[in-house]
Amino acid sequence: MMKKIKNMSDTNMLLTITIVIFFAMYIGAILFLGEGFLKPQTFLSILNANAALIITSCGMSIVMITGGIDISVGGVVALVSMCSAVYLDQKGGSIGGAILISLAIGLAFGIVQGYLVAYLDIQPFIVSLAGMFFARGMTTIVNNKPFNVANEAFVKLKDTRVIVPGLGSYNRLGKYIDAYVEIGVVVALIIVVLLFVLLRWGKLGRHFYAVGGNQQSALMLGINVKRTKFLSHLLCSLLAGIGGFVYFLHVGSGSPSHAMGMEMNAIASSIIGGTMLTGGVGNIIGTLFGVLSLSTIQNIVSSAGFDEAWWTGITIAAMLCLFLVIQSVVMARKKKALAKQ
Amino acid sequence: MGNTDVKKTKDAGFLSKIVHQQLFIPIAALLILAVFNLIADPSFFKITMGVSSTGDPVLSGYLITILDYGSELAILAIGMTLVTAASGGQDISVGAAIAIAGSVILRVLCGTNSRPDELQTSVFVAFIVACLVAMLFGAFNGILVAHFKIQPMVATLILYTAGRSIAAWINNNELPIISEPSFSYYGGFIPGIPIPTPFFIAIICVIIIALVLKFTNLGLYTQAVGINEKSSRLNGINPVFIKFLSFVILGLCVAVVGLIKVSRFSTINYSVIAKDIEMDAILAVALGGNALSGGKFNMAASILGAYVIQFLTTTLYKFDVQSDALPAYKAVVVIILVVLSAPSVRAKLSQLGKKRHVKEVA
Amino acid sequence: MGNKMNKLTNKKRLVSIILAGVLLLGGCGAKEVSNTEDTVAEDQFSEEIVIGFSQLGAESDWRTANTQSMKDTFTSDKGYRLIVEDGQQQQSNQIMAIRKFIQQEVDYIVLAPVTETGWDTVLQEAKDAGIPVIIVDRQVDVSDESLFTCWIGSDFSLEGKKAAEWLHQFAVAKDIPESDIHIANIQGTIGASAQIGRTEGLQEGAKKYGWDLLAEVPGEFTQAKGKEVMESLLKEYPQINVVYCENDNEALGAIEAIESAGKTVGSDILQGEIMVMSFDAVTKNIMRCIMRNKITFDAGCNPHHGPRVEAQIQLLEAGKVPDMFSYVEERIYSYDATVPSLEVDNNSYSVTVVTSKTLEEFK
Repeated sequence: MMKKIKNMSDTNMLLTITIVIFFAMYIGAILFLGEGFLKPQTFLSILNANAALIITSCGMSIVMITGGIDISVGGVVALVSMCSAVYLDQKGGSIGGAILISLAIGLAFGIVQGYLVAYLDIQPFIVSLAGMFFARGMTTIVNNKPFNVANEAFVKLKDTRVIVPGLGSYNRLGKYIDAYVEIGVVVALIIVVLLFVLLRWGKLGRHFYAVGGNQQSALMLGINVKRTKFLSHLLCSLLAGIGGFVYFLHVGSGSPSHAMGMEMNAIASSIIGGTMLTGGVGNIIGTLFGVLSLSTIQNIVSSAGFDEAWWTGITIAAMLCLFLVIQSVVMARKKKALAKQ
Repeated sequence: MGNTDVKKTKDAGFLSKIVHQQLFIPIAALLILAVFNLIADPSFFKITMGVSSTGDPVLSGYLITILDYGSELAILAIGMTLVTAASGGQDISVGAAIAIAGSVILRVLCGTNSRPDELQTSVFVAFIVACLVAMLFGAFNGILVAHFKIQPMVATLILYTAGRSIAAWINNNELPIISEPSFSYYGGFIPGIPIPTPFFIAIICVIIIALVLKFTNLGLYTQAVGINEKSSRLNGINPVFIKFLSFVILGLCVAVVGLIKVSRFSTINYSVIAKDIEMDAILAVALGGNALSGGKFNMAASILGAYVIQFLTTTLYKFDVQSDALPAYKAVVVIILVVLSAPSVRAKLSQLGKKRHVKEVA
Repeated sequence: MGNKMNKLTNKKRLVSIILAGVLLLGGCGAKEVSNTEDTVAEDQFSEEIVIGFSQLGAESDWRTANTQSMKDTFTSDKGYRLIVEDGQQQQSNQIMAIRKFIQQEVDYIVLAPVTETGWDTVLQEAKDAGIPVIIVDRQVDVSDESLFTCWIGSDFSLEGKKAAEWLHQFAVAKDIPESDIHIANIQGTIGASAQIGRTEGLQEGAKKYGWDLLAEVPGEFTQAKGKEVMESLLKEYPQINVVYCENDNEALGAIEAIESAGKTVGSDILQGEIMVMSFDAVTKNIMRCIMRNKITFDAGCNPHHGPRVEAQIQLLEAGKVPDMFSYVEERIYSYDATVPSLEVDNNSYSVTVVTSKTLEEFK
């Protein structure tokens, strides 16, 4: 057993830790907090509430695997939902148009940030910090008040439910209530599968890992490092755009305070899911579990009677800190091993 | 003929010398802003003598506002410059840490009752406690960065998330209010002195850091670590300690700003206090012409940069830009700055300059 | 040798961290088992009433007092279990909280909504699950009123009307020409019921009596924003002599801004003083401000919804139907008795002059 652990690659080991922790936590929640967590709908509700986070976290993981970071995603999500909301509600636009706007905003951020990071060699953190402030500022410039979207077609789409057969339950009136997920969850899961395939078997996916692992050797292997970096940022912002629309679909409103701190949750999810900040290591499935772990722990914290809002922030930070330290230790071990060779 | 040629190159040399002075960027930015305001509305520079509620004379006007709020930023810029130079990264948790420091001050002053009629301890004691707490959080960031070798911005992201929550938690999410008038001196005016107190506090901080840099090796060591960690270690400097120290010093600066901030309002709002100030502090360092990737630094330029940023903010406010929309404009400034200082862009620019020079000579 | 040792300790460190994590989780799990048994046993013996309260946030003193009132009322001694969820000003958080309450099968849901619209779907879910929903404070705008059981809160437009009427009476009593009243309105969070009602009251008054309403700027119900807004208002309109703040936190910020600009607050508006009018009046600190004439008029807004909600729940428990809409009683506070009482919509309201005795009623 010990030997097996020793021989695991970093990716697999970090992934295993994440999955084990997630299941341990969920079982703990069922035991501790009772029936609520046993209902399938509770789990599906977590998915419903976090579909957008899953999508943005996937983008974040890709950038991090390539050795960068992007903290503008929360801002982009807010900007996208505000623009879509204004377009649908005040300009009488169509849903197709709103989706196009979302994708365009994502692409625009991706192109600018990607160019600055990859071709001008500016630190990704500074670039995306500026991106974040720009997006947040623009959101309030577009509209500074929160409002709900009343567009009929949109509300219909928002309330569309994909029934999951066999998982419903009887409520206390004896009525059978179907278990459901929102459309956003379906989108998120499709994206997870696509990205998983891309990272595992795609050429571009291998390039991401190679550039993140060691730029010099990637260059020697004939990989276009700049282009790869550019694409990673482009993909991340594009996913933030898609995530923004899914977020909008979930909340159905535009507000400058939407998706506050989402970049943080996305980074935390990626790190908890076993993506290394130093690049070269990471896994989309891990990221999915990272998001689930994060929201499960938030649920546990608030259900356990720590109702004050501050506990959420503190728990996430503590969890992030723990995983960062684990990673740092793993890295140190790896370095030692390399030095010995 | 030959004579004029020589003179020309001499001129060019003189010009480029000025342009390459580090203080050139903030001063140029300051001049641009000043001229802009002068043209748009000269009343920007008007300073009037008013009377405060206690009947004491106070100065008011946009320039005084800049002096007042820019001082907070200048104090932060001192610590941020050191952190940037030593670690090659920035601390983005300063706003959250200010919330913590402010919350601690109020907690110590108020005791268990959030609306005390009189202070439980002296402000000095509360400030010392806040210093210790802020340095502790600085040390936490420092350990993550120096010992665990986590990128500074990611390491400080932890505190950035948790900080405001911790601040709320320290005071049980209550909003303490200090009714003691002397508490408002630190962020307002001392009776009889018409200049805002934060400016004097900033001057004290600047003098202290100037003395420290002059009489100790802190500056030299910090630059050495920032330029090349390995070679500094070979020269007997402990890079882990230097990085750690820079974060602790920043913690101290944070506590000072925390005091000014809570003194301004005599209360605290956890989610709003010092919001987005990290952006301004980083911008001040960048505007001072310091490389954000670490190494050499110029403290005076950073401090001047801080006042220039405040100048920009106040100008934007004057033109009715909403406070929530400010970041968008500043983000554009940051991008322009970093693009201009990017090595590849610089190389291209200097190439362009050379070509023109060659043309002129020809 | 040294190298090897190092490697060993590192490996050990890693393994021990993982082990510690697993043990920690395992430990929790074990402890939790016994906990559930306890609660199950309790559930069987006592018929406790579980109430899920989705509070919108903790942005003002009023809000904190409101949450506290609920916590003080629904104690475990009285056989209640209250679950509070803080929505942090986000509707999506509140919707998530309500869904969670439904999953946990609470007996009642109490909702203090952050906005008026967008609640149809989730309230339908609660109705389908057979859980009565009691709305407090702000109202909800739903297509079908049977989606919630009842609403308890303040009559914000009445508060606004009271303020306007008081200002009129004040001007008459002090012999101030109505056109000499230059008002700046620092509004609340736009779209909140309190903002709408209070703004309307002022606007109607201004139209009716011919006041000079200079500006209406949102101040988000916070002190910091109130100060910021007031600072810029003073620069733009030096003639302001009445500031109409839509809550007390904004008023505190405005007072600070006025004083640091070198002007004085007070009711002598013809002599260059700026009069502050405000709403809520829930803390001792504010009462003190009124006593010192820093705030001249304050329309109270009662945050103590707990007992009222409890009464409705008791009615429901007894199988009766409570009133669909009910208002909590609210007082009017002023610095002096220039206006002893006022009449709004044919009802008379007396004005309470704040004295040190009034102070004792407040925390």
